[in-house]
Amino acid sequence: MARSMRTCLHSGRLALLAILVSGGIVLQILACALYNNWWPMLTVLMYLMLPMPLIFFLGSSSPSMMSNEGDGWVNFTKFLTGASVVGSIAIPSILKHAGVIGWGALSMELSSFIVFGVAILWLIQMNGEDEYSSAF
Amino acid sequence: MENLALLWGIIGPGVSGAVFGAGWWFWVDAVVCSAVQVSFLHYLPGIFASLAALMFNAVNKDEIGYDYYSPYGDDSEWRVKLWLFVAYVVSFVCLAGSVGLLVQDALTDKGPSVWTGVAGVLQCVLVLISGLIYWTCHSED
Repeated sequence: MARSMRTCLHSGRLALLAILVSGGIVLQILACALYNNWWPMLTVLMYLMLPMPLIFFLGSSSPSMMSNEGDGWVNFTKFLTGASVVGSIAIPSILKHAGVIGWGALSMELSSFIVFGVAILWLIQMNGEDEYSSAF
Repeated sequence: MENLALLWGIIGPGVSGAVFGAGWWFWVDAVVCSAVQVSFLHYLPGIFASLAALMFNAVNKDEIGYDYYSPYGDDSEWRVKLWLFVAYVVSFVCLAGSVGLLVQDALTDKGPSVWTGVAGVLQCVLVLISGLIYWTCHSED
């Protein structure tokens, strides 16, 4: 593939990724604004913790997340990611169970979570592709 | 089979974090949705279970090998084993305590509801399982 084609496709993918992330943020805020109930914003705390391993290890030259390296801090950030994934599903569910929010807000929160998840997985995959092509 | 071990090394800590989070969030749900004030006694099994999970992950697995030479002298294996033993005792006491609280909640009507007791047991079990999962991951290397 020609080099200009590849860079065009790459920036196109980045733009799509940015649209996904902003879509997720819009869904999250809509879940609160449409029902005039700002409790679901607590989930934002969990979303802050979610991309932590990416932020810490994206640019580093040390073994990436996808390897089997047993470095203590890598394991701990993965632990935090797992906990924040469960937390971002759990907080809306607990709010629904306690009757603080309704079904509409719950479904918007969960779809916002799915959108963020897809965006992060795509970012990880893109990052893995970059390493492969740069060695080439 | 080899692939499974590699995959486990990558996602294991994440799974452990997810299970730990699930345990604690069930407890938060029970406390939030409880009609009566949940006394501090009910929080204790969960707190001590988390402590026990932390304790038996703090052990360096090499130290329980046979030819480990420690700076404390040749017979220091017993310290590590004592630490692990205390961690096991604490975790089993938590399990027993949470089951006991569940039975007590089920029998009386005036205290916390059955869901509080069930969530307490779930919390204890999930936190301990999460500790075990984390233990199996970091010994992969």
